[in-house]
Amino acid sequence: MAETKAEQPRLTLASSDGEDIPVDKDVAERSVLIKNMVSDLGEEAMTEAIPIPNVNAAVLKKVIEWCTHHRADPPAPTDDDSDSRKKTTDIEEWDQKFMQVDQEMLFEIILAANYLDIKQLLDVGCKTVANMIKGKSPEEIRKTFNIQNDFTPEEEDQIRRENEWAEDR
Amino acid sequence: MDIDKQQYNDMSAHPPLSPRPRPIPIDPESLELRSTGRRPHTRHSFTSDSDYQLPAPNLLSQSDSINSARSRPSVAGPTRLSTVSRPSLPMNMLPSAPASPPTPAPSPTPFSRQPSWKDAAEDEDGFTRLARAHFGHQTDAQRQRFLAELLNMCDNSQLSFVAHFVAPRLKKDPFEHLPDELCLRVLMFIDEPRSLARASQVSQRWHKLVNDDMLWKEMCKKYAYRRRASGEPDTSPRANQSHPYSFTSRNKRPLEGAPLGPSSSAPNLALSLSEPPSPVQKNKKRMQSQSHYMHFRHKYLIEAAWRKGGHCKPHFITPDQGVVTSLHLTDRYIVVAMDNAKIHVFNTVGEHQKTLKGHVMGVWAMVPWDDILVSGGCDRDVRVWNMATGRSVHVLRGHTSTVRCLKMSDSKTAISGSRDTTLRIWDLESGLCKNVLVGHQASVRCLAIYGDTVVSGSYDTTARIWSISEGKCLKTLSGHFSQIYAIAFDGTRIATGSLDTSVRIWDPNTGLCIAVLQGHTSLVGQLQMRGNTLVTGGSDGSVRVWSLVTNQAKHRLAAHDNSVTSLQFDDNRIVSGGSDGRVKIWDVHTGQPIRELCQPAEAVWRVAFEEEKAVIMASRNNRTVMEASHMCNVVLQAMLTCF
Repeated sequence: MAETKAEQPRLTLASSDGEDIPVDKDVAERSVLIKNMVSDLGEEAMTEAIPIPNVNAAVLKKVIEWCTHHRADPPAPTDDDSDSRKKTTDIEEWDQKFMQVDQEMLFEIILAANYLDIKQLLDVGCKTVANMIKGKSPEEIRKTFNIQNDFTPEEEDQIRRENEWAEDR
Repeated sequence: MDIDKQQYNDMSAHPPLSPRPRPIPIDPESLELRSTGRRPHTRHSFTSDSDYQLPAPNLLSQSDSINSARSRPSVAGPTRLSTVSRPSLPMNMLPSAPASPPTPAPSPTPFSRQPSWKDAAEDEDGFTRLARAHFGHQTDAQRQRFLAELLNMCDNSQLSFVAHFVAPRLKKDPFEHLPDELCLRVLMFIDEPRSLARASQVSQRWHKLVNDDMLWKEMCKKYAYRRRASGEPDTSPRANQSHPYSFTSRNKRPLEGAPLGPSSSAPNLALSLSEPPSPVQKNKKRMQSQSHYMHFRHKYLIEAAWRKGGHCKPHFITPDQGVVTSLHLTDRYIVVAMDNAKIHVFNTVGEHQKTLKGHVMGVWAMVPWDDILVSGGCDRDVRVWNMATGRSVHVLRGHTSTVRCLKMSDSKTAISGSRDTTLRIWDLESGLCKNVLVGHQASVRCLAIYGDTVVSGSYDTTARIWSISEGKCLKTLSGHFSQIYAIAFDGTRIATGSLDTSVRIWDPNTGLCIAVLQGHTSLVGQLQMRGNTLVTGGSDGSVRVWSLVTNQAKHRLAAHDNSVTSLQFDDNRIVSGGSDGRVKIWDVHTGQPIRELCQPAEAVWRVAFEEEKAVIMASRNNRTVMEASHMCNVVLQAMLTCF
């Protein structure tokens, strides 16, 4: 990666739990939120820590790890309907490994990516969850996420019949 | 005890039912709380202070020096491990716990049962209490080291216990954790309806999310159920929708502004606007108001029926062996022309309505438009019929040989091509011939119309482009080495199929040949063009799918043992019929065979399909049979009755 860049300007991000995390400006600006803040704040952004009140240090570090790996990626297609969104299953290998975290961390990353407006990371996170759902029976899904079945037996039966059409292929 | 209190307070300030529980609080809470909460269940009631007294030395010495743990295997893991684990179970028994969302679903493993304390030694409880207090003081890093030490001492069965104990605790319901819009974003990455349908059965919350109609709108898009989809506002020009099923009538030429061609199946919007809505249109309106979910389900079930369902109804139409020369499906009729001079009109479910009698020799060409039918054949007459009444409206005379092809350019203009080498343009209102198009040197075999332009293919090996209003030839397309048997025209391209085994693509403006598509080994008698895809069928039995972007073959289907007698395709599938008596359905994208429709017959004369129906004209036991396959299954029918 572009380690050769001489003087990469650095920012400091302040996590919700009060940790200051230094980060290269171009890495931080994978986040549209931070990018906009930096351009609003101007020089001040370089000297003051930027508060990220919704993300704790553990999650923020994880997000920065992702942004660092993807710092040289081409910018995300702005079109929300672009094909890349429709192609569902494929997640590149590094991202797959990156997402091998416990579920809480995974969901926190999704929330952070949403808050920080990092569309590609958000999509990787959502795809990861989607892949955990795909191809599973309702009971298998419940087991995967430790979900309580809160249907009455009657409701369960009715909903099963309601959804039989999709099984028929 | 300060710690205990402090953590207890922490906990009541952040009860676990907070929507986004943080990772850290849980362990200490359960550890510390239990030591108060569970007190009555322990055999000895200690004061908090006494808790620390007995085992304190042991514990401290052990934890102080991390490495010492391994050297003291006698302070064996099992008991202490079980203590560490015991805390978390009674979480549920705490005042604040019952409402906690991540109430573990019953984990059915044997390990989920809590270790029993019945046979615990006298000092165990106090001992572990010390450990808890110690653990409570530690930083995250210290705790990790502490746990690692304990785990290092465990054997497989204990590790397995830990694994089963811990696993469900690390699981969270994503849809309780994430806001609705992110949940939907996750669900939109699932493009299999079956996975979605199953997800909706997980819990009330999941059910509600999966039933969000936005999700199914996306699904309709992904599955391209939008084309003729009624769930969407009708933004696409009707022209695109109107000809999916009109192979036999190749008059696909509607353009914005121009009146729509009455291709075999298309409702005629231009006319119907001024008419009271037909049942079909009412049906469409109803469909528009229905949810994307219902729409998707409807389309999906039809797709499923095309793959493996549907029911086939045979109707015997003649006792003798008449050859079917032409078949059209419209939104009101199924029309069948025979070489025995008869034309049979059925309603859309295949019940016989009328027999149109008047031709004295075989009928070889016909075209329907609403209730009007124009037909022609060996007796040289062009006849105009009203299919609703069964009456003959006009007999148009002029051709001096067999009428071989017929198309309509609007509701009152028909164009016929004949073996006498001419085309004639007829005014159906007055019954007069408006123009005779002269130029071909041999029989005119096929026609296609788009807007004011008609293109004709002839046995003289050329095709010609004519202006309908001016009645004159604009271009002559020369290049084929042999007779032209089939032609298609979509306004931007002309495709011709010839006995010379090639297919040629022409530019209608310059009249130049753009491409020669080679591959068939015999006459190319069938062709349909749709968007950038051309599908051709030959007397060699093969069906070829071509890209009109690259002008290359995409798929070569070894479709039939003998001639391909009929073919039609839409966005999803190709249906081909052959003189080998078989009707086959293919995936137009992959070129893979999907199924064979109905039992093999002696020969298949014609096939035509529309969205929910396929009609086959075939010969069985020397009788001509019409078989209508309706592509809906029991679920679909049950569903439709609900609406």
